[in-house]
Amino acid sequence: MSRPTTSRLAAQDLTLAYEDRTVVEGLDLEIPDGKVTVVVGPNACGKSTLLRALGRLLKPRRGAVLLDGAELARVPGKQIARTIGVLPQSPTPPDGITVADLVARGRQPHQKWWQQWSEADEQAVAEALQRTDTADLADRPVDELSGGQRQRVWIAMALAQDTDLLLLDEPTTYLDIAHQVEVLDLVRRLNHERGRTVVAVLHDLNQAARYADHLVAMKAGRIVAQGRPDEVVTAELVEDVFGLSSVVVTDPVTGGPLVVPARAWQPAPLQEEHIR
Amino acid sequence: MSRATATAALPHVRPAGHAVLRGGRASFLVHRRSVVVAVALAVLLACAVVAYLCVGESFVPPMEVVRVLLGRPSPDELVVGTLRLPRLVVGLLAGAAFGVAGALVQTVARNPLASPDVIGVTHGAGAATVAAISFNAVAYDALPYVSVAGGLAAALLVYVFAWRRGLHSSRFVLVGIGVSVALGSLTQLFLTKGDYLVAQQAKVWLTGSLNGRGYEEARPLALVLLLAVPAALWAARAQRGAHFDDDTAAALGVRLDRLRLYLTVLGVVLASVATGAAGPVDFVALLAPQIARRLTRTAQIPLLSSALTGALVVVVADLLARRLFSPIELPVGVLTAVVGAPYLMWLIVRTRSRSGGTTS
Repeated sequence: MSRPTTSRLAAQDLTLAYEDRTVVEGLDLEIPDGKVTVVVGPNACGKSTLLRALGRLLKPRRGAVLLDGAELARVPGKQIARTIGVLPQSPTPPDGITVADLVARGRQPHQKWWQQWSEADEQAVAEALQRTDTADLADRPVDELSGGQRQRVWIAMALAQDTDLLLLDEPTTYLDIAHQVEVLDLVRRLNHERGRTVVAVLHDLNQAARYADHLVAMKAGRIVAQGRPDEVVTAELVEDVFGLSSVVVTDPVTGGPLVVPARAWQPAPLQEEHIR
Repeated sequence: MSRATATAALPHVRPAGHAVLRGGRASFLVHRRSVVVAVALAVLLACAVVAYLCVGESFVPPMEVVRVLLGRPSPDELVVGTLRLPRLVVGLLAGAAFGVAGALVQTVARNPLASPDVIGVTHGAGAATVAAISFNAVAYDALPYVSVAGGLAAALLVYVFAWRRGLHSSRFVLVGIGVSVALGSLTQLFLTKGDYLVAQQAKVWLTGSLNGRGYEEARPLALVLLLAVPAALWAARAQRGAHFDDDTAAALGVRLDRLRLYLTVLGVVLASVATGAAGPVDFVALLAPQIARRLTRTAQIPLLSSALTGALVVVVADLLARRLFSPIELPVGVLTAVVGAPYLMWLIVRTRSRSGGTTS
């Protein structure tokens, strides 16, 4: 039934719905291996829903998500968890858990009743703590951390899971600009150093353009455009997808596209009429 | 391997307070404090058991009790082995079952209030059993099954009423308390409708009394506990997944909806069977897991320590119930309620003052 895919993770004819509300319909997508793919789109366009389905947090109404050619719905959960790591939008930590313990939970898919804490577990957790600069926080309760620290800890947990694919649902929400950049830099570094395939949902188009190798723009449950950010991000696309007129200039730092909204709110509408 | 060199300088990380035992490819995590707590509880329980068997209308010296327990001939065999031991065994097993049941249901609900005796499970088992006793509906042997059916039915009722696009833990508890009260009234109705003498007997059973309980009651309970042990060992590890939200658990490969169902059914069956054997000994399932957790200071409720605490509470409470107003024997449920009711009130007050803290 399913066609052969060239990438490890792919969606075919995917229809996703909550109760009777269809959010995504007939969507096809291949996630390029070893690249950072970022999904963007306006609120409620189905981008988070798509990510949830790619990470088998949501069962497709129709169609399938394929992992290495196998339908995700038919692969045991634990086996998927050794290949795909997912960081949901607002994860809840267990009460009173410490940072090291939470990150250690990421090893769960690799553990069995007789393999509760192997050398590999220990290394993966130590490494995840180090990479996310959370080793100093190891003994602190997660409840006491700031938003930025907390987000780094959750990413550390997903890293400890040691998966080839990593799906992140708006990993920069609730973070200030410095922490946003820090998290995205970390993601990018992981992708480069480890060749990990990353799929992230972001709502900041400029951040998406900056960090994506492959950009997917969605609108009303469909993919409007996808490809390299410098090819995809145009004033027409921004108008089409977000309904925002803008000017796309060259990012002075990266040389990539930078979206500058064209219209700012005018302080007095009456005055505006006068000017016209 | 490149990883080995890259991580050579990394510090040892292990979950806080745990010792690691490794041999070959096998590795085990042992929470040190939990082990100490479990051993201490076991020692206390052993002392309580001996004390329980010593004390009574006639005092039996501890050495004689130990002799009887070891199966050696003793002049006190009748008093200890035939009169006191069977009742003790029922108390021990019921207490352990209540402890584990409470731990499982509280874990699933992420709420210390949601224990089988607060949310109506034991009252369901009680109502069904009283109905069966009062109306002479089933043979005496079948009563444990009636209890389990009643407990499961009550749990299902709570679930149906509390479910609204997901299970919210405080609604779950409120509905549970409502169902408890309703089932309590129903039980009263059965008592007044049934035969007077039988109703008296049912009433004593209802306050949770170990008086006159023996091996007939212990057998189904022991059987269920025996089956439940491997299930509980599995649950002890699976429990860890239940502390996350659905999505995070799924990301780790845990199907939380199924896990919740298994743990709940296991807890409900244990609480119901224990109720069938010993009556609804109130508040043990509520208290034991929380005491155990405070002792072990773990994020999750320790199952073994909960079982030991439950058994200890019931044995000590029954010992006091037997001797406090001797020669009158109080039902053990009265004593556990004296401790448990204030605790329950304190818990409600505390959860309300930190509202939001227990939602899941």
